[in-house]
Amino acid sequence: MAATIASQSSAALTFGLVARCSTTRARASCLTLPHGPVQLPMFMPVATQASLKGLTPEQLEETGCRLCLNNTYHLGLKPGQEVLAAIGGAHKLQGWQHNILTDSGGFQMVSLLKLASITEEGVRFLSPHDATPMLLTPEHSISLQNTIGSDIMMQLDDVLVTTSPDAARMRGGHAAKLLQGDDRQRSPGIAIGGLSGGEAKADYCRVVATCTELLPELKPRYVMGIGYPEDLVVSVALGADMFDCVWPTRTARFGNAVTRKIVAVYAAEGETEGLGITRAFVHHNTAKETVSAHLLTLHNVWYQLNLMGEVRDAIIADRYPAFIRQFFANLYPNKADYPEWAVGALRGVGVDLFEDRT
Amino acid sequence: MNVPAVSGDDMPFKIIQPALEHGLAARVGRLATANRTPLDTPTFVGVTSRGAIPHLTPDVVSKHTDIRAAYMALEDFIEKSSKRKSPAIFSLPKDGCRPLHAYTATPFTSCTILAPRRTPAVVAQNGNGPKHISVLTSTGFERVTCESFCAAVAQIMPDIVVPPADITFSSHTPSAKRQVFMVQRTQEWLDEFFSHLDPEETLKPSGIHVFAPLLPVGEYLKHLSEDHAVQLSGLTIYDVKILHDLKNHPQLLDLPRLSMESPESPHQILRQVRLGVDIFASPLVNNISDAGIALNFSFAAPKAGSNGIQPLGIDMSSEEHQVSVKPFMEGCGCYACTKHHRAYLQHLMNAREMLGWTLLQIHNHHVMSEFFRQIRMAIADGTFEQKASEFTKCYESELPLGTGVRPRARGYHFKPEAGQPKINKAPWNRLEGEGTPDQVAAAEAAGLAVTGPAAGGSETPLVPEADAAALAKEGFAKIDGA
Repeated sequence: MAATIASQSSAALTFGLVARCSTTRARASCLTLPHGPVQLPMFMPVATQASLKGLTPEQLEETGCRLCLNNTYHLGLKPGQEVLAAIGGAHKLQGWQHNILTDSGGFQMVSLLKLASITEEGVRFLSPHDATPMLLTPEHSISLQNTIGSDIMMQLDDVLVTTSPDAARMRGGHAAKLLQGDDRQRSPGIAIGGLSGGEAKADYCRVVATCTELLPELKPRYVMGIGYPEDLVVSVALGADMFDCVWPTRTARFGNAVTRKIVAVYAAEGETEGLGITRAFVHHNTAKETVSAHLLTLHNVWYQLNLMGEVRDAIIADRYPAFIRQFFANLYPNKADYPEWAVGALRGVGVDLFEDRT
Repeated sequence: MNVPAVSGDDMPFKIIQPALEHGLAARVGRLATANRTPLDTPTFVGVTSRGAIPHLTPDVVSKHTDIRAAYMALEDFIEKSSKRKSPAIFSLPKDGCRPLHAYTATPFTSCTILAPRRTPAVVAQNGNGPKHISVLTSTGFERVTCESFCAAVAQIMPDIVVPPADITFSSHTPSAKRQVFMVQRTQEWLDEFFSHLDPEETLKPSGIHVFAPLLPVGEYLKHLSEDHAVQLSGLTIYDVKILHDLKNHPQLLDLPRLSMESPESPHQILRQVRLGVDIFASPLVNNISDAGIALNFSFAAPKAGSNGIQPLGIDMSSEEHQVSVKPFMEGCGCYACTKHHRAYLQHLMNAREMLGWTLLQIHNHHVMSEFFRQIRMAIADGTFEQKASEFTKCYESELPLGTGVRPRARGYHFKPEAGQPKINKAPWNRLEGEGTPDQVAAAEAAGLAVTGPAAGGSETPLVPEADAAALAKEGFAKIDGA
């Protein structure tokens, strides 16, 4: 384990920078949280309703996961704040000894509910069942997350268009679309949110690169909703540390396994789990027995965590540019197929994907 | 009870504590097949669906259950597909590993039992023919001849095989005329089975043991005991009433008896044990878990007394468990009970999370394993009858019905009939009101829901089921102006 270069602490979080890539903005770091340390860069699987889609907490732990997500909105609906308070929080509810990160809940709320308006006070909306006018405030979100007992919380926020009067500058697409928790003085970490909403990949990269350039170095940077392997590899090069996404576990339930070369339909790399399970058997039960979904979920979570482990090792050994080139070479046998957005974004941090050196 | 594993002779079954009455009472035995953990009987085996114990991945089966034998149906592996000539299970190499084991990732220490049909089997409309049985694959009914069944057995190599029998699986008692056919066909098929798979040349060297099907018809037993007794390693029973006739055939008495007549409760298990059943292949435990019930009984120490008659299980979907941090069953040592509590299971059932059924399967299989272990001990020390009668007095006669939502039923689970209401509830509906976007689109936009195959059940619903007052109570938001 490499020694820590520099660190910064708050009450519940210590961020220690372990290594920096000498070419890109990638960093390897260690985050110490109330339920133990975690190694960055990292991918965090999403256990939406306090359960990772059929995996036992023990199976999740065995993939190496030490920080997973719960969704505030969903836990607020089921089992609800009262039950969570009575049981003593989400860790006790799901028998999870490690860290939990919760979102603010605003995303799901805002996405679905019939909106009335967003003001300085909060979000006014109509209850979907009886159309009663309701008000969701940042205090509600934090209170729920306190009851959940998360190790990392997100504060309720709004896109900059509403919070900043300077709407014209926003439309120029120049500044960060959204910085969740952008209180650089007090917040122990920064989340870059509002992305992964269908924007062009090149725009996404520009926003992340702009943010990481401006952000303080000794705080973790979490890009919300990112999970495709190539997005992870590029985003790390742009200086991001933490990611979450439901894609790996959802695509598992479609019958897809994430693999080194391609996203193979109906396939699992049995060797990765050491369970001796063949692709044929997983295929045999895809969309038929839940066991196949569980096996693929297990595999995909393992794959994502393992990928990030390899990324971290490469950064510490200061061979991340070579790692990136090899990663894209595995993914696209033909260099002509390299996605333009990735080529451009990586060029911006000093990595030429077409270079033959590995 | 230290009994050496398979000795010099080829009989895998040893009776350790014989029945008191001839052929008609509880007995203790041990079934040891080559390289597998011996099965102490009476016991039950895991019943698979398409080669998997429902909801349990192979690692969980090995780590958190005592399931050391699995019942599998050939019909689960042989569906037709335009994408390949023959099912994948037939193209596995036999390099030191049995293809059925390898394909289903069954632990090496576990024993596989292969029969033509699932249990319970869906009744085939067209019935069986003189040369074939009808089976239901996930792509429809198929015919399986004795010859093709034998070829499959030789290829995939189960440890134990149940040859095909002319059984309809319908609830009606077959007519006298039909019974004559059944006996004739099944006898012919069994003769044919042994002509395709010679006991000396094929079965013994491959370590495949035959558990012959016992038709619920008396005269068939004679044929079996006179012509085939030495070729058999066990008997498969579809109706335990036949056990009364068995005592007239001493050649068959020492064979282990696999019961396919599914008990509906532990009381019925005790009844069958008393009749001399050694091994149960019953979907009972899988069904109980799907119903959201956690078993809650013990054979050795029933919790009798002042509380009156005890329920056999607990409906884990019930709101009464919402904040209960007790184990599913007091004193239970299973993974689910030691690591989790009722409140979590209730939440999982309520939120329709698949882990709920996984935890129930772990717990319920554990309770059932303990039940059988205690039965074996009681038979061995002569207290079985006394304990069985205490058990009957102590517990309700039937299992509770679950109130929760069951897992999604699949095409191979049931026979679709005209005019039948939908088995599965539609996972998505349109939001109320004209012109509103449908819920799938709304949920897709929220990055949560999916379309396609996975929309069939296990996705996280987004629209709260609660009204404004409930949302306010849960701290979500407050009623505006309140």
